[in-house]
Amino acid sequence: MTAETRGAQPGPVRPKAKDVLVVLLSHQLPSDLERTMETWRSVVSADSLLLAYGGASSNFSKIDFEQKVFISDPRLRLRDQQREHQSWEGVVQAANDFLQNSAHQYLYLVEYDHIPLRGDLLDRLKERLLTEQADVIAHHLHRIDGTSSAHYLYHKNEGRFHDYFARISKRDEKGVILSMLGTGSFWKRKAFKAVAACEEPFPIYVELYLPTLAHHLGFRLRDLTDQNRFVMHLGDRGSEIEEARRQGAWTLHPVKTLPASFVRPL
Amino acid sequence: MKMLLRSIGLAVVHKIGMKIFDSESGRPLGRVLLIPWGGKVHVVGLERSVRPVFLLQTRLTYWKQDLGFTTHPPPDFPSLERSQKPGTTDSRQ
Repeated sequence: MTAETRGAQPGPVRPKAKDVLVVLLSHQLPSDLERTMETWRSVVSADSLLLAYGGASSNFSKIDFEQKVFISDPRLRLRDQQREHQSWEGVVQAANDFLQNSAHQYLYLVEYDHIPLRGDLLDRLKERLLTEQADVIAHHLHRIDGTSSAHYLYHKNEGRFHDYFARISKRDEKGVILSMLGTGSFWKRKAFKAVAACEEPFPIYVELYLPTLAHHLGFRLRDLTDQNRFVMHLGDRGSEIEEARRQGAWTLHPVKTLPASFVRPL
Repeated sequence: MKMLLRSIGLAVVHKIGMKIFDSESGRPLGRVLLIPWGGKVHVVGLERSVRPVFLLQTRLTYWKQDLGFTTHPPPDFPSLERSQKPGTTDSRQ
């Protein structure tokens, strides 16, 4: 067990980052969500945590957390997220609305099954952003134009795809298409607000739309390379939590159900 | 059932398929099956996004060209805002 886990000797309480807004996207039942929220509350204060709820509207009122917003966007609730071009437009707009009345300088977008393993997670992300001189850092960030990427080939079949980015691009090279994992992207306020100010022109899968748009608006994106092995797109890694912590993971994804033995980060 | 068959097929390809390498860095890109069919080449078993490229010739030949694969480098594009404002630092907010 590491010094960062609950079983360690009690140390000074770590001050929580006040300038990062964590936007947590979940569709869990209120009973399951409670534990997820509790976990995030150990790394961020309640006033810097925004729950973007994509579950059933009947459950929304049962969630005992003040800072919550119901995402009604049907394009969030798709059976085949990739083929039907899942959109986080509703989530992005809800977060942007929240930012209008808050001074948060950074924003962290995470899904419910992406769990924090370090109490200083948000400080680490801020530091990495600074080190990389980036405006956005994300997991599995790749350039995919002209490649065999199935997502790219599927979107390129839509004639307007490249045209749209070429039209709005501030860069010389207008054909660049980026891809990232949806969960775990960390944004500077300015970059996020610039992306939120654009209206999605037609359905584009969120994992392509957000990074490519940010890139063409002139922002710098970098990959969280060393953390990527802890943040994969498939599986259930609930049994790997302590091992991942030992190996230096800041977060772990996907963890569909938190095991009873889970120790919240300190 | 369909998914199971697909998984078994891919496992076989990844075991006995042809090794392909990044034509620029020499890095292995995995094992795939290349099937020429109907004027196209079907590529089965790719596990990463690759770009097909005709390889450079060290000797001029008219009768044969080689097709290889490569990848994009990790995204490392500058911030336009910073590149347009020399001397600014990342602490601007």
